[in-house]
Order: sequence, then structure tokens, then C-alpha cells
Amino acid sequence: MKGRRLIIRIAAVLLLIVIGFVMSIIGRGHTIYLDNRALDYNGQTYKAPYKVTIYVGDEQLTKLYDKERGSTTCLGQTFTVTLEVMETKNGAEETQTYKIPVPKNMDGVIINIPGYLAGLPEEAYLSEFVAAPSAETEDTTGGDDTSLPGEGDDLIPSDM
Amino acid sequence: MGKNVSTSLGNKTKFRQLIDDFGLPRVIITGFLLLLFISAPIVGADLPTQITNTINRFSWNAVLVLAMVPMIHSGCGLNFGLPLGIVSGLLGATLSIEFGFTGPMSFVMAILIATPFALLLGGGYGWLLNKIKGGEMMIATYVGFSAVSFMCMMWLLLPYHHPTMVWGFAGTGLRTVISLEGFYDQLLAKFLAIDLNGIGINLVIPTGSLLVFALLAVAMWAFLHTKTGTAMTAVGSNPAFAKAAGINVDKMRLISVIMSTWLGAVGILMYEQGFGFVQLYMGPFWMALPAVSAILIGGASVNKASIPNVIIGTFLFQGIVTMTPTVMNSAFHMDMSEVIRIIVSNGMILYALTRKTEGGR
Amino acid sequence: MNNLMKKKVSVLDLIRGNSVPLMFVLICAVFIPMSGFSGSYLLNEIMTRLGRNAFLILSLLIPIMAGMGLNFGMTLGAMAGQIGLILVADWQIWGIPGLVLAAIISIPISILLGLMCGVLLNRAKGREMITSYIISFFVNGVYMLVVLYMMGPIIPIAHGTLKLPRGYGIRNTVSLLPMRQTIDNALAVYVGGVKIPVLTLIIIALACLFIVWFRKTKLGQDMRAVGQDMDVARDAGINVERTRIISMVISTVFAGFGMIIYLQNLGNFPTYSAHTNVGMFCIAALLVGGASVEKASIGNVFLGVILFHTMFIVAPSAGTKITGDSMIGEYFRVFISYAVITIALVMYETKKRKSQSLMGQMLAQAQKDEEEGKTE
Repeated sequence: MKGRRLIIRIAAVLLLIVIGFVMSIIGRGHTIYLDNRALDYNGQTYKAPYKVTIYVGDEQLTKLYDKERGSTTCLGQTFTVTLEVMETKNGAEETQTYKIPVPKNMDGVIINIPGYLAGLPEEAYLSEFVAAPSAETEDTTGGDDTSLPGEGDDLIPSDM
Repeated sequence: MGKNVSTSLGNKTKFRQLIDDFGLPRVIITGFLLLLFISAPIVGADLPTQITNTINRFSWNAVLVLAMVPMIHSGCGLNFGLPLGIVSGLLGATLSIEFGFTGPMSFVMAILIATPFALLLGGGYGWLLNKIKGGEMMIATYVGFSAVSFMCMMWLLLPYHHPTMVWGFAGTGLRTVISLEGFYDQLLAKFLAIDLNGIGINLVIPTGSLLVFALLAVAMWAFLHTKTGTAMTAVGSNPAFAKAAGINVDKMRLISVIMSTWLGAVGILMYEQGFGFVQLYMGPFWMALPAVSAILIGGASVNKASIPNVIIGTFLFQGIVTMTPTVMNSAFHMDMSEVIRIIVSNGMILYALTRKTEGGR
Repeated sequence: MNNLMKKKVSVLDLIRGNSVPLMFVLICAVFIPMSGFSGSYLLNEIMTRLGRNAFLILSLLIPIMAGMGLNFGMTLGAMAGQIGLILVADWQIWGIPGLVLAAIISIPISILLGLMCGVLLNRAKGREMITSYIISFFVNGVYMLVVLYMMGPIIPIAHGTLKLPRGYGIRNTVSLLPMRQTIDNALAVYVGGVKIPVLTLIIIALACLFIVWFRKTKLGQDMRAVGQDMDVARDAGINVERTRIISMVISTVFAGFGMIIYLQNLGNFPTYSAHTNVGMFCIAALLVGGASVEKASIGNVFLGVILFHTMFIVAPSAGTKITGDSMIGEYFRVFISYAVITIALVMYETKKRKSQSLMGQMLAQAQKDEEEGKTE
């Protein structure tokens, strides 16, 4: 009987590890930056459409004219976006929904819209967004270092 | 606590016995403190200044630690309700200033005014503890907390008017921290102070404070050898025997609580004169824990304490509190002192609480 | 005539038995109109706080059942949950999956801490509450060691935004914005201006069901036996020490989950002080709900949350209106929390001594009867 209990325990631990792993994949958060700018690749230039309206979910995120960038967040490995593309001014609008796969280990992802629409390989239209070093270390911590947190803090909690 | 370790090597037995008697944590702590002392000059911290600081802090805290002794002796356990005594002392301090006393007189009056409060509060506290024998420590903690938070409301409401104490803007309600300059700041410390600066050593000994502590310590020791004192000790170590011998257990416990509370009141006044400020509101909230862990570090247990425990314990504890930040900062530019203090002091109390004492409980 | 007298006694007993909750109802009844808050505001606040705190308070039930008293060591579980959240925030796992992952990470940490706590408490039988109280401070020191010093150099933290300016150690506040209220909002229903976090309530209901089911299992029965009388349980063949340790482990794991729910509601958390007050106020809330050190039910949990938090909300404004000083109300609610715990502890101890002396008297009486029976 002890053997049975051990097996159940090991199974439970394995189950938790699997769930945890799955969670880490479907919950991976990314910040997606969408660029509407011309892309040079392999000698060819892919023009940016006049206007691209971006819908995420059912809401309109933003309208991007030439050389503009919009951003949003997404959870998981696939970024679902609806693009309403207007190639030239006052031209016809084409709307289509795309599922763009997002690599797991990137925090911020830049997607070049013209490149993606032209069907280029991923390395052409997708790149990693690396924040400038000064932006990384926010100095909004105020008072952190001077007074190290101790026992006496928060005897009167502001909220509970 | 001495185990009978029989090995062929006689020396090993004796050494292990020594450690067992002294308590492994205490050995570690003493070793740690020695390490700090040795490394201080090496890393560039000024050793005489450090020693001065340690002795100073010793003089502030020693009476508060002494306050633990009566209640441990009478079996009421560690006095986590020390804040009650502290509150009495604070009442004495603030009222003495309010009534207009200054200079050395304000200190004397503070003690005098604090005494009836200490007797009253200690009496009530002792009565409560007698009703709940066995669960003293937990309830003491919360009685202390309730008292401090209740006084927080009172400090705001009571009609104090002295300009050095109240908020200037509103005119009523005491400030959080009150300066004792002009009152009894450094009163005892400077009294008969031995200043070795003259001979080139940066060391100042606050003789006055140490004398007062010595006086109280001797008085305590003498008391414990009187008839009442021995009765109190009997109540703590063997209540059944004490009862059979005709001792009024409840009365002894009550006396011990009142003594402890009064010493707490004097203790906070000593602390204030060394520190230079009166800390109200949430200041006294956590003050029981350092005193408790100091006496435990000094070798006391939940039901056994002596005067040497007080002296050794306060010195070790304050030594660590003073030396760790400076040495660590000079050596590693990293201040882990707060964390070390928390782990050491609470770990010590934990060790004492989880020791299987003779006679169960 | 007899019936009337019987009824009178029971009403008085009822009042005495529930004095703490009744006192709180009185306080709230007085303060609510004074505070000036609208009914719907209060309802919304209480709903939010219920969702936030109930799970945490539920974690206190099991140790009480096992006779370990008020588990001040729930702080340990809270710390485990926080470590899980810090790691998950750093790995950028958002939303509900992130919270689930944090919960999973907290489990082994909680088990470890709960084991340690249980072992220490077994060495301090009779003093469990003060020991668990000190343990919570001690582990807080260790937590600070890990989070303030080891996170960064030893435990890799990828994002600089989480760290203190000096380069190692976690900041004073960790933002949980990407996970904020994700459980609360998931199935939220709005009824007349009051937001009801359905998913959170479902999770709490599941916890309640677990506790009810657990009481009926053999392990649960063992725990109740240990709680009532350790020696009798030991004679009955129950491994008392092991049962006590298990109760602490379960409680700590629950506290870890509860803390995650609590923090996801807040949206960001003060890294070094979030857990310290949690223990105190959850215990106060449970006691306000009518629980005692040796007996607590699920009903106590919910009643306690409602009463305690209502007082918590209205006291400051009421205090301001009475005295004109805003701090009075804040101090008052702190004072009441401590006073409530003090009263509950005193009542528990006096009852314990009374029942012991009663048992002693009964024993003496039985012996006397036996002797008299013999001589006759």
C-alpha cells in the first residue's frame, strides 16, 4: 500500500509541474509593437500602406499612418489581430484577421506590418524590442534604499 | 541541561558539556560578536567609538531587560507586556514636562508620576495574568499592543498644552517625538562621565546611567534574597510546593508583575535620557521583543533568570545591534544589519520557547 | 414556570457566547451612519474585501481544529505566495495563468515552511500561539534575506524594473498590473452597482467544500481528536506529532493561495510589509466572527469578514466626524483589532482553566463517592 501512495504522490507532483509548464506558455505576456513603415529586405522595398487600422479583440486599437507605431499586450504564443488596410489615400479597404505566432522568450516584439503582409519570413518582419537602458532602471522607487524595510513598518495599514 | 556524554576523551566531554550548558546559540552569538570586535579595526571602523556606542546602548536598555527578571522568577514567563510599563513611563515623562518641571527635576518627577500609573496598570495586568495561568505570554503580547494603540488615541485626545510637546499648528495633540533638550537629555549619562578623550582614546563612559542600573540591579538581587523574593522564586520554579508551603501564589505573581511594570517605566525613562527623545504613539510597540531576546541571549530561560543574564545579554545584544551595521558597511558596503537583527533576536526567542524545560509545559 | 426560566438562561448564554460579534454589530451600527458612506459603496467594498480575504481566513480553520490555536504562522504561507508572484512577475507570465503558476511555485515553499513550523510547534506544546507568532517574525527575517539580498545576485531576476536602484534585491513595491483583478474580473457580475467577483467566490466556495469534506476524512477526524485531547488521541493510536505537522502544512499552503488571491485584487504589493499585517487582521476578523481559539467554523469566517471589514472601513471617517482628527479613527480600528484578539485569548484561557478545575472537581467528587461507596 505504501508503494501506491508513493506513486500517487509522484503523479501529483508531475501533474503540477506539467500544469505549471503549460501555464508558463499560455500565460507568457508580450508587448507587441506594430510598425507601419517601409521595410527593406533582400534588396526589395516593401511600401507602407497609407493607413492601417488595427483591431484587437473587438476594439479598435489605433490607426497607423506612415511611420507610426502602435502597441498592445498579448498573452500566449499567438497574436490575433485584425488589420484594415487602406493601400492608398481614399482607396479601398481590405480587412483581414491574422494570427501571428510570437516567440516565447521575447518580452517586447516589433512587427513590421508591410513586411508581414508581403508574406516575408519571420526574421524579416519580427524583431525584439529592447528598451533603452535608461528606461529600464526606473527611479520611481524613492526612499527604498535609505530606509531598509524593517519590522516597524506598517503598523497602521492603509488598506487591508 | 547537562547531558551525560561519556566518551573516552575526557576533554571532549568537558568542552561539549560547556557548550551544552552555555547553549549553542549563545556560543554562536558570542563568537559572532567577537568576530565583529576583531574585524572592526581591520575594516576601518573606529573601535573605541564602537565600544562607546555599545556601552551607551547598554546603559539605555539594561533596565528594560532587568524588568524581565521578576516575572520570569514568578513563573509568569517572558514579559511581552512590557509596553504597559513603558506606557506608564511615557505618561510620567509627558506629565512631568506638562507640569512645568525642567532639568534634573523633570527626570525625578517623571519617575514619581510614572510610579502610581505603573502600580495601577501593573496591578490590573497582574490580576489578569492570574486568571489565565498558562497562557500568559500570548495574552501579554496583545495586552501590550492594545495598550499602545489605545494610548495612541489618548495622546491625541488628552488635554496637553505644553508648547514643546504639542503640534504647533493645532495646539492640541502630542507630537510623535518630543525632544528632551533642556529636560533630562543625557542627564545621567553626563553625570560623572569618564571621558577618555583626554588620554587620546575616543571612549566616553556614561557612568551615571551605569550607576543607576547597578543600583537597581543590586536592589533586585537583594530583593530576590529576601523572604518575599525567595517566595516569588519558589512560586515560579515549583508552584505546587509553594502552595503547600503556604505561600500566596497569586499575590507573589501580582507583586512580580507590578515590579516588572515599574521597572519598565523606569527603563523607558533611562532609555529616553540616553536617546534624548520621548517616542510616543507606535514607538513602544515593538519594544518588548528586544528586551526579551536580550535576556534570553544572556542565558535566561522562560522560567529562570539571573542578574548576570541581564548584564551579559544586554551587552551581547546591543553589541550586535551596534557593531553589525558599521562593520558590514565598512567591509562590504552592504547593510544587512536589520535582517541580521531580526533573525538573531527572534531566533533566540524561538530557541528558548522550543526548549523542553524540566517539569513539562 | 420552568420553561420560562429555561428560556431566559439560554438567551443570556447566547449573548455571552457571542459577545464579540454582537459588540461589533453595535460598533458598526453606530459608526455606519456617522461615517457618511452610502449603502452601495459599503456593499461594494465589503464584496471586494470578502473576495480578497476569505480564502486567507479559511486557512486558519484547520490548525484550530487540530488544537494548535490561532495560526500566526499563516504569514509563512503568505511569504511563499509572494515569492511565487515575484518570480512569475519577473518571467512575464501574465493573467490567470500567471497566478496559477505562482500558486504552483508557492506549494513547495509552503510545504517546507509549514513542515518547519509544525516541527517547531511540536517542541513547544502548550505554547503554540506565541511560538508561531515568533516564528512568523523569524521567517520574515529569512524572507528579507532572500528577497532583499539574494534576489538578483543568487536568484536570477531578469528585469531591472523589479530591482532596487542599487542593483540587487526587490523593490519596495512590486507591480502586478498585468495580473490585476484577473480572477475577480473573469466572471464578474454587476448587480445594482455592486461588483460580484464570481470566479473568486467560486474558488472560495471550493475551499469551503474542501474543508467540509476534509473534516469527514480519517485525517480530519484524527485532527479533531488531537485537537480535543492529545493524550487520548495518542492512546487511540494516532500519530499526534505527524497530524499536527500536516495541519500546519495544509494551513500554510492555503495561506499561500489566499495571499495570491489577495494580492491579485490589490494589483501591487508592498514587498516587505504585505505579509506582516495579514496574519493579525485575518485572525482578528475570524475572532470577530465568533470563533474562539479552539473552535471555528466557516460561518465565523464570513461573518467575521463582513463585520470586521465594515468596522475597518467606517471607523476612520466616523472618528473624524466625532473628534475632528483623522488619525483617531485609524488608531481606533487598530486598537479594536488588538483588543478583540486579547479578549478572545483571555476568554479561551479562563474557559480552559475553568474546565480543568471543573474536571478536577469532578474527579475529586468521583473519588470521594467511590470511597464512600467502599466504606458503606
